[in-house]
Amino acid sequence: MKPPTSWKPIHKKLAAAVILIIVFAALPIFIENDYIKHLLIMACVGTILGMSFSMLFSTGLISLGAGAFYAVGAYISASLAMNAGISFWLTFPLTIIISSILALGVGAIFVRNGGIAFVIITLLFASAVVIAAGQIEFLGGWGGIIGIPRPTALGPIQFDSKMSYYYLILIILLLVVLAYYALYTSHIGRAWKAIKLSPNLAGTLGINQYSYRLLAFTIASTTAAAAGSFYAHYFQTVTPGAFSGWLSIYIQLYAVLGGLEFYVMGPAVGSLLMTFIPEYLRIIKEFEPIVTGVLLLVVILFFQGGILGTIVNATKSNGKNNGQGIHSIRSWLKKGKNTGVRES
Amino acid sequence: MTPLLEVRNLTVYYGKTKVLTDVSLHVDEKEIVTIIGANGAGKTTTLRAISGLKSLSSGEAYFRNNKITGLPAYKIVRLGISHVPEGRKILAPLSVMENLELGAYLWKDKKEIAGQLDAIFEHFPILKERRNQTAGSLSGGEQQMLAIGRALLNRPKLIMMDEPSMGLSPIMVGEVGRTIKEINRGGISIILVEQNARMALNLADRAYVLETGKCVLEGTASELHEDERVKNAYLGG
Repeated sequence: MKPPTSWKPIHKKLAAAVILIIVFAALPIFIENDYIKHLLIMACVGTILGMSFSMLFSTGLISLGAGAFYAVGAYISASLAMNAGISFWLTFPLTIIISSILALGVGAIFVRNGGIAFVIITLLFASAVVIAAGQIEFLGGWGGIIGIPRPTALGPIQFDSKMSYYYLILIILLLVVLAYYALYTSHIGRAWKAIKLSPNLAGTLGINQYSYRLLAFTIASTTAAAAGSFYAHYFQTVTPGAFSGWLSIYIQLYAVLGGLEFYVMGPAVGSLLMTFIPEYLRIIKEFEPIVTGVLLLVVILFFQGGILGTIVNATKSNGKNNGQGIHSIRSWLKKGKNTGVRES
Repeated sequence: MTPLLEVRNLTVYYGKTKVLTDVSLHVDEKEIVTIIGANGAGKTTTLRAISGLKSLSSGEAYFRNNKITGLPAYKIVRLGISHVPEGRKILAPLSVMENLELGAYLWKDKKEIAGQLDAIFEHFPILKERRNQTAGSLSGGEQQMLAIGRALLNRPKLIMMDEPSMGLSPIMVGEVGRTIKEINRGGISIILVEQNARMALNLADRAYVLETGKCVLEGTASELHEDERVKNAYLGG
C-alpha cells in the first residue's frame, strides 16, 4: 500500500533527521577536543531521554520522573556487569528486557491516573528510585557502583576513546529515532494523538486509552533505561546522586525548549542547546538551576511551541493557523483535557 | 421483537445534582428517534450515559440484548453504537484523512475500509477535496460532515448525534437533515438529540421530550408535532 499523502510532512521530518545524523556522524573528525566530544555524547543521551518524555506527552501524560528509568537502566546494567561479569553487549539487551517488564508492571498502576496525579506519582517514583539505590547495600549504597567495565572490543573496534563512544550512542540514537518514527506514523501514533486531543472522543472511536497509554509508558521507559545502560558503561560509575530530581526537570526542558510538537527534533535541539549553552556561558554550577528555571519560564511564556515551533510558525507567513493543537504545557494546563478539539 | 436499544430508568448525577431521573427509552431497528428539550434538560447526558462516557447511579441499557451499562466507551462502540458528540468534535490539528482513518480504527481489512472511504467521499465530495487539510480549517458544516463520516466508518448499527444542526446555516441544516435520512435508509438506526425541534420532528419516526432530567412526553413524531404543549414550548406556537 502506498503511504497516504497526509504523511508527507513527517517524511520530510525523517529526511531532515537523517541528514542531521550524517552531519553529526562527521563532526568528531573535525573536533580535537575530547571534552566537546563528551558534551556531544551527553547531548545524544539527552535527546533520547527527551524523546521518551515526548512520547508520554504525545498521549497527554506529563512525567516528572523521566529520569527514573534512566537510573533503573543504569543500575540494572551496572549490577549485571559487576555481579554476573557480562559485557555491555549482553547487559544492554538484558537491560532493555528487564526494564520493559518493570515498566509494564509499574505503568499498569501509574497510568490509571491521568493529569496531575500522574505528574505527582512519577515525581515521587523518581525520588523513590534514587533513595532506594542509596539505601540498598547490594547496589553500592550512596557511594554507588564503581569500575563498571567499558564495552568489550568489537573486532578491531576498541571502546577506549570518546570517538568510539560517540559513534556507539549515535547508532543507538538512530535506532531509537527510526523506531519512534515508525510508531508515530502507525495507527498507534494516531491513537496516541487522539487520546491527547480528547480522551472522551478517543473512547467513542473505540480506542482503549488505558492500554495505549500503558504502551507509551512502557516504550518510553524502556528507551530511557537503554540510555541508562549506555551511561553506566560510559561513565563506568553510577551513583544515586547522578539521578536526582533535577535530571527529570532537565529532560523535560530539552523537550519543551525544542518544541513539544516535534517528537524527535525538539528534544535534539533542546538537548544540544542545554548541553552547550551553560558550558559557553561558563555559568557557576550553583547558579545553573536559576538560569535553567528562568529559561524554562521564558520559553513557556513567550515561545509557546519551543524553538522549532516558533521558527515554523514564523515561516508560515499567511498565519493560517487554525487547529494547530497543543504546542505548550501552558495551553495544556489552561484548557485541560479538551485542547485542540473544536468546541463549536 | 426486542428493540435494538433499550434503556430503562437511567438516573445520573453530576456531583450531588441529579440530572437524569428514571429516563427510559427504546430504539427499534432502522428507526430515527429524537430526543428534544430545552438547554440543560439532560439530552446530552442521556447520550453520554448510553455511550459509556458518563457513569450511571442506576438504570440499565441493553443493546442487541447485550447489557452495556458499566462497559467503558471503547467497548460499547465495538458493539456498534457510534456517538457523534456535541460541538463537532473533530480532531482539529489532524488532517481530514487522519480523522477518517481514526474512524476506521476498529477495522483491519484495508480493502473494505478503502471502499467505505470511497462511498463517504462520494457522498461528501468536499471531504475528498480537502482530505490533506487540517480538520480545523474546515467550515462548521464540513466539520459536521467529517464527524458523521468518521462515525460511519465505525460501521455502527446505531448512530447517536448530538445537536448536529448547532451553529449551522439554514442551508447546511437542510443538508445535514438529508444526510441523516440517507444514512437511515442504509439500515442504520439513529438517535437525534436536537434543540431544533422542528427539524428533529420532521426527520424522526418517534420522539421523546425531556424536561429537567425527566421524560415528560413520548410518541410518534407526528403526534408530538400536533401536541399543544410541544407546539407552545418547542415549535414557537
